[in-house]
Amino acid sequence: MSEIVAAYMPEFIITVFIIFNLVASLFFNTYLYKLSKWFTLLGIVLAIASTFYLQIEPEAFAFHNTFLTNIYTVFFKILILMAGFFLTLLSRNMIREKRDRAFEYFSVFLSGILFAMCAVSAVDFIGLFVSLEALGLSCYLLLSLNKNPNAKQLTFGYLVQSAVVSSLFLFGLSVIYGMCAEFGFDKISLYLVNAAAVSSQPQILLTFSLILIMCTMFFKLGLVPFSSWLPDTFEGASYPIGAYMSSIPVLACFAVLSRILMTFLHYTYTIKIVLALIAVITIFLGSLSLIRQENLKRIMAYSMSVQSGIILLGLCVFSVYSLSSVLFYLFCYLFANTGAWAAIILLYNSAKLENLDELKGVIYHRPYYVIAFTVILIALAGLAPTCGFVAKMYIFSAVARSGFIFLPFLITALLASVILIYGYWRIIRAMFRRIETDIVIDTSVISSKFILYACAAATVIICLFADKLIRFCQLVAYYM
Amino acid sequence: MNFLSLIWLILAPVIAALIIMFPYFPNHQVKVRRFAKWFASFHFIYALLFLAFFDPGMFGMSYEKELTFFGISWLKSLGISAKFAIDGIALLMVVLTTFIVLITLFMSKMHIRSKHKLYYSMIFLLESALLGIFCAKDMFLFFVFWELSLIPVYFLVSQWGNTEARRAAIKFTIASFTANMFLFFGMLILYYYNFAVSNVLTANIESLNMDEKIYPLWFQITVFVNFLIGFIIRIPAVPCHNWYPDIQSKAAAPVNIMLAGILLNTGVYGLIRFNMQVFPEIFKLFAPVLMAWGIVNIIYAGCLSIVQNGIKKMVSYAQIASAGFIMIGLASLNSTGFNGAVFMAAACAIVYSALFVVISSVQFRTKTTYITSLGGIGQVMPKCMYLALIICFSAIGIPFLIMFTPKLMVLSGAMLSNLDQQLTVKIAAFIGLCSIIISAGYIMYFFYKVFCSVLLDQWKKIKDLSPQEVSILSALCLIIIYFGVYPMSIIQIYQSVSSIILDVLQV
Repeated sequence: MSEIVAAYMPEFIITVFIIFNLVASLFFNTYLYKLSKWFTLLGIVLAIASTFYLQIEPEAFAFHNTFLTNIYTVFFKILILMAGFFLTLLSRNMIREKRDRAFEYFSVFLSGILFAMCAVSAVDFIGLFVSLEALGLSCYLLLSLNKNPNAKQLTFGYLVQSAVVSSLFLFGLSVIYGMCAEFGFDKISLYLVNAAAVSSQPQILLTFSLILIMCTMFFKLGLVPFSSWLPDTFEGASYPIGAYMSSIPVLACFAVLSRILMTFLHYTYTIKIVLALIAVITIFLGSLSLIRQENLKRIMAYSMSVQSGIILLGLCVFSVYSLSSVLFYLFCYLFANTGAWAAIILLYNSAKLENLDELKGVIYHRPYYVIAFTVILIALAGLAPTCGFVAKMYIFSAVARSGFIFLPFLITALLASVILIYGYWRIIRAMFRRIETDIVIDTSVISSKFILYACAAATVIICLFADKLIRFCQLVAYYM
Repeated sequence: MNFLSLIWLILAPVIAALIIMFPYFPNHQVKVRRFAKWFASFHFIYALLFLAFFDPGMFGMSYEKELTFFGISWLKSLGISAKFAIDGIALLMVVLTTFIVLITLFMSKMHIRSKHKLYYSMIFLLESALLGIFCAKDMFLFFVFWELSLIPVYFLVSQWGNTEARRAAIKFTIASFTANMFLFFGMLILYYYNFAVSNVLTANIESLNMDEKIYPLWFQITVFVNFLIGFIIRIPAVPCHNWYPDIQSKAAAPVNIMLAGILLNTGVYGLIRFNMQVFPEIFKLFAPVLMAWGIVNIIYAGCLSIVQNGIKKMVSYAQIASAGFIMIGLASLNSTGFNGAVFMAAACAIVYSALFVVISSVQFRTKTTYITSLGGIGQVMPKCMYLALIICFSAIGIPFLIMFTPKLMVLSGAMLSNLDQQLTVKIAAFIGLCSIIISAGYIMYFFYKVFCSVLLDQWKKIKDLSPQEVSILSALCLIIIYFGVYPMSIIQIYQSVSSIILDVLQV
């Protein structure tokens, strides 16, 4: 029991609130549907509060050393819970339309958060597999909530492809188990150290199987060989689910990916180049696809893919410095991405606007909305007075620091980011069009508006006070 | 002199922009404009105080100040801080910036008919970004302001320009961002190579100086070329000049004044601050290239200027040609040439923004900028014609007007330059001297076509300059004459700085 209190408390609280929501769905589904939101918010706030009481020094383990809690996992858990908090507020209109499903919606929503947190903490391949699968299933359930018949078909592709990469994961896992007869991270890395002393052959097989395992993460992050599902699935998804898909699995997968890379693959040089290549191709292709999109959800899908590519480029150089830059980037990405989704959700809720050319002349009706959205898009594009610039500078400086071999990748990524800037610029340009329209953006929805303005303010404030956060990220990366 | 803080100088326009954008600020054009004008006037006076208390004999930076957020300096853990300081060259540019903004605001009344709040706040944001470029003491801070200056320019050009302005603005923005990425790449690898060599994580421009440390030559050349690409687009030099006439011909008239006045000087300033100060050895290596490049600029842009059919494009190409003189002056690597180049940058800003003031008055009355539909306007606008004549003479380089001294200094600097390729340099200087004839050609052609040829019927009823325009133009003409007669009053501001820069270059 004591180890659960020390290491498992936030997950436990979230589990309790999942059961709360499920039980409540039996009794008051239509009348008191608003209660579900407050339940969920309460659960998330309690979980965030409980993370401050976790034992992080020394590291705490639970469930026979398969579940780790240290400052690194706590950092990611706080990020995931913060994303969950924002997304709960963004779900307002969604649960309004589906009053009878509100409690079920939030129980699935919370279980996705729960399994994302478990995946962050997992130091065992079985635990990792179960968590990632359950996270994927939660995402699929959330995706299929959309009533649109087209959406079912679009999201089905996600399920099938997800099953394929899961089988790749299992195959890689079986190879690893065949070699080491272990599932724990620490024991496999011990095996690696011993094997490296004898010969180099098993390492190649192990690297191969680890790459197969990483394919699951690549799939969820929308990196290049597995990015085809992104636009269709996002287009089929409801808006809050799109926001959910682009934040919570991303945070969890980067936590897992960096753990796998740092634990097992830090000695191989080839893998760095392969990852950098994947990152650069993702940035390039994603940006090129982004500038051709008209649907806002598809734009956000490609945006997520490109941002993942940028983060992967920072991750592939394997150092404490680069890991801290990745953590900082994820922190900034959380605010910018959520803010952008909040802005799009506001648009959709008020006038069912989905496409870029319908945004014309919004500046005439809602200048402050446009300014906040512009600030957020500038942050996503990585331009000056926002945290996006600091994050981009930090992550690219980590790449520049790691040796001349990465410089061609760096300059390619920088040039591709100009295309990305143009992609976001199109949205701003559309809003500033000089055409009179009769769109009235209903900004009476306080929760979405609050998130939009809060995220816009946060991107600027983080830029000014970046120093503390960078120091904290360096500390977290050091203790990983 | 504690009241002279560079941070307030840079932040004040941002605050003004925020006040204007504030929801309760009256959305009435007269009130917004009056506030903007008063603010810009006080800001100009504040900048003049910096000049008044500046010690020209001092070597190095003065008015140093660091921006901290509740005691924490910005990105200290990465060795990046928000430090501001100015030397003579930067101070000259700062005063010029505030002055041009004032002129722009006075000329905005007639041309800006919509979205006043956005317009004036964008002007102030642009001013702040440009001041930041000149005052930043840190490489990445410089880059922040450098990128920040693009966003207001995009809005200023696209929102108040003609129907094609949007396209030109996006073209400019994309081209600039691409160039900025090269600049950023150069900065990143310089930052980390410096860390690897000296083991100090810093982005301070002064401590990045490469002369004492051992860097491989290919590395220095790589970084130098990346910086050069970033800055040469802003100057603009010939193969990358296309954006400038493009946005100038499509932007609104007051925006033209602003762009011609200061935007181009940021490129010159970056070239001096980074390429000359950080890589002195490589600059010496590249000096003949830059000199030849300058000559190409003068001749090519000069010839293009004559064949344009819009007056805005003509003047823009004329300015690109003048930028060639700046490049020659910098590349000649002696104090005469260098001082001439910096003077030339300031003179170009004043003269060409004055020419755009004239164009703005003409465009307001005739609603056209095509050279075929203008002509003989001097008969109905005599005041405008005589004031424009002084400005045009100055642009050619007639003695006792502002452009004469710098041109003379640049060309004599190039003649006296002891670069390795003596013959090339002498030929370059001689061609530069001859190219003054071209400059006389295009400027006088412009003047003749607009003011002197046959008066068309539709222009017979247009009115002469209003008292406000007369006062602005005559103030500009007085400045042109004053600094033409007393050129030392500008040169002495930055003389000590230029001697430091040239000492490092060891020529």
